[in-house]
Amino acid sequence: MPRSPRQARSALAAAAALAAAALAACSGSGGAAVTAPTKEPAGPFVLKVAYGSNYVFDTTGLTQKWWQQVAAEFKASHPKATVQFIPIPGSYNDIVTKLSLLYRSASTAPDVAEIPTGQIGLWAQAGYLLPLNAYLKSASWWSRFPRVVQSEGTFSGQVYAVDQGENDSALLYNKQMFAKAGIPLPWQPKTWQDVIAAAERIKARLPGVTPLWLNSGTGSGANGLLQGINNFIVGSATPTIYDARTGKFVVDSPGIRAALSLYSQAFARGLVADTSALFSPNAVTTPLTWFQQGKLAIAVGSNYYGGNWTKAISAPYWPQAPKVMGEAVIPTEAGGGVASTLGGWDFAIAAHSQVARAAFDFINLAENQQNSIDAANWAGWVPPDRDYWTLPAYTSFAPPYNAFFAQIMPHATLTPSNAAYSVWVQGMGEATGAIAQNPRTTVDQAIAILKGYVTGQLGADHVEVLH
Amino acid sequence: MTARPGAPAPAGTGAGAGEAPGPAAAAQAPGRPAVPQGLRRDAERFQWGSLALLVPSAALLAVLFIIPVVYAFYLGFTNLQLVGIHAVDWHFTGAENLRRLAGDQVFRYSMELTLAFIAGSVAGVVIIGLALAMLMQTALAPVRIVAGGIVIVAWMMPAITAGMTWYASTTAGGTFGTLLGLANSDFLHREPLLIVTLANIWSQTGFAMMVFGAALRNIPRDLLESAQIENASRPQRFARITLPLLRPTIVTTVLLITLISLANFGLIYVMTQGGPGNATDILPLYSYQQAFQFDNLAYGALIGNALVILCAIFGAIYVRASRSRA
Repeated sequence: MPRSPRQARSALAAAAALAAAALAACSGSGGAAVTAPTKEPAGPFVLKVAYGSNYVFDTTGLTQKWWQQVAAEFKASHPKATVQFIPIPGSYNDIVTKLSLLYRSASTAPDVAEIPTGQIGLWAQAGYLLPLNAYLKSASWWSRFPRVVQSEGTFSGQVYAVDQGENDSALLYNKQMFAKAGIPLPWQPKTWQDVIAAAERIKARLPGVTPLWLNSGTGSGANGLLQGINNFIVGSATPTIYDARTGKFVVDSPGIRAALSLYSQAFARGLVADTSALFSPNAVTTPLTWFQQGKLAIAVGSNYYGGNWTKAISAPYWPQAPKVMGEAVIPTEAGGGVASTLGGWDFAIAAHSQVARAAFDFINLAENQQNSIDAANWAGWVPPDRDYWTLPAYTSFAPPYNAFFAQIMPHATLTPSNAAYSVWVQGMGEATGAIAQNPRTTVDQAIAILKGYVTGQLGADHVEVLH
Repeated sequence: MTARPGAPAPAGTGAGAGEAPGPAAAAQAPGRPAVPQGLRRDAERFQWGSLALLVPSAALLAVLFIIPVVYAFYLGFTNLQLVGIHAVDWHFTGAENLRRLAGDQVFRYSMELTLAFIAGSVAGVVIIGLALAMLMQTALAPVRIVAGGIVIVAWMMPAITAGMTWYASTTAGGTFGTLLGLANSDFLHREPLLIVTLANIWSQTGFAMMVFGAALRNIPRDLLESAQIENASRPQRFARITLPLLRPTIVTTVLLITLISLANFGLIYVMTQGGPGNATDILPLYSYQQAFQFDNLAYGALIGNALVILCAIFGAIYVRASRSRA
């Protein structure tokens, strides 16, 4: 307990040292030597494999089971290999932060890593990832990936990552509630106004039920946008979020205005959940429980909902789900069509991996029929290989949702993979959050929040307005 | 300072204008041997060989304190990123980050939030902590032990537990709303800064209470008793005796609570992650957001530097405040 000024000052110095040390610890070493990847060693070798241990797959048990199953097949064909797992606990941001730190030094970079789609561009640009084009020539599965899925890991013609599984979006709705509200089934809205109209009817006929779930606010970061407003932006006449030609972010466009206007209507008419639920860090998975409890009628939701209600995943277990829950594609702004975001997880090899050939063999096994479908079922994905979309092993895991969401995938639009996207995410989260907190927020005000934030962070020369 | 008839200064105090009672005068111990000017009092004990013994701690200080501080300040003036081109290929960029900081509206807002958070926390912790400590002095022993235990448990609780508790109680369906008959009120997202400040006060008050409790026990009873004999009222005794004697303790506590609150990153991160929007985005959170969410390690370090300077300014003010009377 410092009593004298001198002691107080040394306490202050200690506090300053802690703050500074914490900052310094964030930095690590600066440069990394550039070496060409060498051939596979003849003797025993270690293959380092990093993956998210409790976020990517639906349960930790299934995570372990899946990676060990791939590793066992790999060991069978590479007897001299030792697979060293680097499980990364925590959620999206924790995994990205940990991988960023591992990649900063060639000695800690994992040979094979499970990385989120949104990070491929940054890590490729930083020189962390190995171009896989030469290896993919011999991979039969690669040519069966839809073009949009192939393009998510491709930058300037080089493929830096291959998809492990994808998430896309659609509308999920409670058929029993729709019947009670007198809305004809099966429901397929033609326009965004049809969605609002259905929600209003639910509100009028079924008091106590939250009519519509729209993710909003900054609490769930990029995931909240992927399973929220971005679906409407990519379904608008101006779907661009990041303009790759100019290298600028779009902060105002007719499409963004249309999507914000939809949000504004839904919040102003009281069709959505309260801020306690929307701003919770668990917001994106809340509709799963609310649907099961009969508290929610419609959600802009994701492909993994169906799988989560199965007994295998039980998050939560809801055997009646296929009877109760219907599915409909999100229409585009123009009416009809299919609007959906696309994002998932990928495999990548470290640029300086000494065992790149073996690392690709590992990925090759992970992409085979059994492993790819298991991953899709256990993590709640659509498998990237279109041959698997109709196989019973995939479709019967969570019928009818798995088959339905596979059909949406080729029409979906990728999330920007750019260093500054997280800034746009924060700006858009603040814009939708402002509407959620105060439904009288106008579209102009919401646009001003987005534009002000992104411009302030990136500079006026990195943003653009589309007309 | 108005002179108060009927409430003369306690015995033994210097006569000067009714101020500076007790401690200064009491602490003076006349009769020390005079020391010649310019000669160190410990001169005969100083040995050059003792410098060698200082080397290990000096080395630790250099490696764990001086070098990281200098390096962190340097990083603030580079373009280092967590990922991206400048993660590997980074260099000194001069005042570019400073220019950016000067024009950064979010930083300015974050600074205002930080000052409001600190002012609210310090005022709340000191007032409630002192009030509790004084109440505890007159309380029955069992009450004192139980109440003290509860307050200290709140202080010992890890930030994540305290944050979760407050998150759960202040959102819809939480204890606060239920007790107030407004079960569906979302206090946390309606008044985010107020709620996180209250949570911080709640988690720090136990510490202040313990410190003040110890200091109160050290106040000589004869001072208070003689004031009472001289007809000093309760508020007069508090204002003229207790408070001046507690002054060094209060200054130290204020300094510590300031630093602990600024470091109480986990509490706010658990409750709001700086949100909603950036309504609770105080400097430590904004620094983290820039470094780890937007990947701008260098800019995050610069914001961290600003935070260190802010801490140093607070420290200097408090040190001055304690020195001016002590």
